[in-house]
Amino acid sequence: MVETILNLIVQGVLIGGLYALFALGLSLSLGVMRFVNIAHGDMIVLFSFVLLSLTGVLGWSPFLVALILLPVAFGLGWLLQRFLLQRTVGKGILPILLVTFGLSIIIQNGLLEAYGPNTRKLSGGAIELAALRLGPIDVGVYPLLVFLLAVALIAGLDAFLYRTAIGARIRAVADDPAAADLIGLTSARIYPVAMGVVGITMLVAASCMSVWTNFDPSIGPSRLLAAFEAVVLGGLGSLWGTLIGGVIIGVAQNFGSQIDASWQILAQHLVFLVALVFRPQGLFARS
Amino acid sequence: MTRFPVGRRAFLKTGAAALAATALPRVAFAAPKTVKIGLVAPLTGPLAIFSDNLPWTLDRLKAHTGGQIDIGGTKHPLEIIVRDSQSNPNRAADVAKGLILQDKVDIMTAFATPETVNPVADQCEVSGVPCLTNDCPLEPWFFGRNGDPKKGFDWTFNYFFSAVNMAEAYYDAWDQVKTNKVVGALWPNDNDGLAFSKIFTGMAEKRGYKIVDPGRFDLPSGNYSAQIAAFKSAGAEIIAGVLPPPEFTAFMSAAAQQSLQPKIISMAKATEFPAAIAPLGARAEGLSVEVWWSPTSPFKSGLSGITSQELSDAYEKATGNQTSMTLGFRHALFETAFDALKRAKSLDDPESIRDAIASMDYASIVGPINFKKGPYPNTSATPLVIGQWKKGTKFPFDLVVVDNTTAPMVPVGGKMAEIVHG
Repeated sequence: MVETILNLIVQGVLIGGLYALFALGLSLSLGVMRFVNIAHGDMIVLFSFVLLSLTGVLGWSPFLVALILLPVAFGLGWLLQRFLLQRTVGKGILPILLVTFGLSIIIQNGLLEAYGPNTRKLSGGAIELAALRLGPIDVGVYPLLVFLLAVALIAGLDAFLYRTAIGARIRAVADDPAAADLIGLTSARIYPVAMGVVGITMLVAASCMSVWTNFDPSIGPSRLLAAFEAVVLGGLGSLWGTLIGGVIIGVAQNFGSQIDASWQILAQHLVFLVALVFRPQGLFARS
Repeated sequence: MTRFPVGRRAFLKTGAAALAATALPRVAFAAPKTVKIGLVAPLTGPLAIFSDNLPWTLDRLKAHTGGQIDIGGTKHPLEIIVRDSQSNPNRAADVAKGLILQDKVDIMTAFATPETVNPVADQCEVSGVPCLTNDCPLEPWFFGRNGDPKKGFDWTFNYFFSAVNMAEAYYDAWDQVKTNKVVGALWPNDNDGLAFSKIFTGMAEKRGYKIVDPGRFDLPSGNYSAQIAAFKSAGAEIIAGVLPPPEFTAFMSAAAQQSLQPKIISMAKATEFPAAIAPLGARAEGLSVEVWWSPTSPFKSGLSGITSQELSDAYEKATGNQTSMTLGFRHALFETAFDALKRAKSLDDPESIRDAIASMDYASIVGPINFKKGPYPNTSATPLVIGQWKKGTKFPFDLVVVDNTTAPMVPVGGKMAEIVHG
């Protein structure tokens, strides 16, 4: 019994790493830049399809392709912010919602047109199946690596945001765009950099997700929901909080489906609602 | 200018004769009329793999028939109108409506799972169009459409295996391997999952098996940790279920990571096709699944006389792809539709086409089709055996028939073996 519970927790924590990776970009844009990107999930799915095409043509491992694509992902994020999203900055919360909502629809239908509605999965090679025995529990090597990657990425981003000059600038612009503008920090220069970083986290999430589980053109919004919950559970602005949020969701799913398999998603939402009631600002919110 | 005066009586006489002359051939010889067959198929979406053999089958039939069908000595032009269901039941109903109202098809056909076949059949039942379908298990087709075993349906007919028969066959195959008879079940929250859970669980005690069923789960899932934990703690040596291919791949990866090593894995849907097991690589060896048609089936086409082996060879030679069990059923669907059209008394009368289907007694490439024999009204059960993927010669894996208890006419090619975990 103890073993079963321990196992459910460990497996939940590991899949929580994947959820956290997925939510990381959202945590940056929502928690730091203060806007909701409805197309977040769809953009990750878009990157997954790009990886699908390139691995198909090149025959390389999806991780290698993702590594090479990192600058492209940064560039795409930069361009998106500079030429589209920037136009909505300072115009309230609604225009950006509408723009990213439209983007979400465009990406979903574009992918449907280009790739059809089939469900896909990428192969990560032998590492995908390797298992590690830790005491009484079997741990997958791949989920463990994804979790460690999530931890490393969060540590890196945290240092980037709170220890570097550009990070301080991003936060300054996010806190008060008008005041930042007065001292020569224009959001038009700073935000695209932040969105470029978000683009990188999206690509990393896409490569990990497309090997771990399935994707199809319409799966973005349902993945976005889990990411949202991880960000809000952890508290806006806290990247480590997002990791904890993802872990809580993963563990809740596993305990839910232990009662009955149909409870998996229900348990996730219930935990989220309970947390909202008792701690609406999230677990580790930065004021 | 010469005039030919025509009197009133003479005019009426010749006029009547002329009218009779134009009307007569229709009655006597039945002038050629384009025969339209409607087909709803999942060309795209998660079920698209079921349509893989369709283009080749259509080409082959076109070559065989020359685009014509011979009915009572008259050659009628034949048109097969294919519409995509996109693997979506609502879309299947919509395109079926279009085929009925706009294209005015003489007979409707459809195949591949209740998600495609049931909505099409329902449209035909409402509109009074004869409908012939296959590749949809009989129980979800008959009871899933609220069929009354006393009344049956007026316009719709379906032939495939019976799910009760399939469960019996699985238990027979599992009996071949020495296990603790504990079965871990992966039955999702869909038509097949619900039907399977009822039928397998109902039979388990009688067959001496214990079922570990963690419950219905929604697809796509991707997270199978809880199920794997439940199977491990119950010591399940058999895993059975019905999952789409990508979901099964995700489950297999998680099972390997968490060291779940069952002796038998019997997965309907996901392991029925060579293309679907390819991503599993070496792990595909030893997986078992129900087999509705195979190259070794002892049946011949009543249309062209081709044997199952010949059909399979022709397909592999022409496409370079490995044959799969859908091939026989794709071929049979048109065979049976042609048979009904040929025996119909009048092509202008839907009821006579319907009656021709109802009275069918036809030897197809998937076995004898006769809708009077049941097990339910308007259905005909085709033989079913259990197969196991074993190392192949021409292709990486061959689906070898390992148990034929419920259909002894299909020869077995080997014994059910335990999965070897590397």
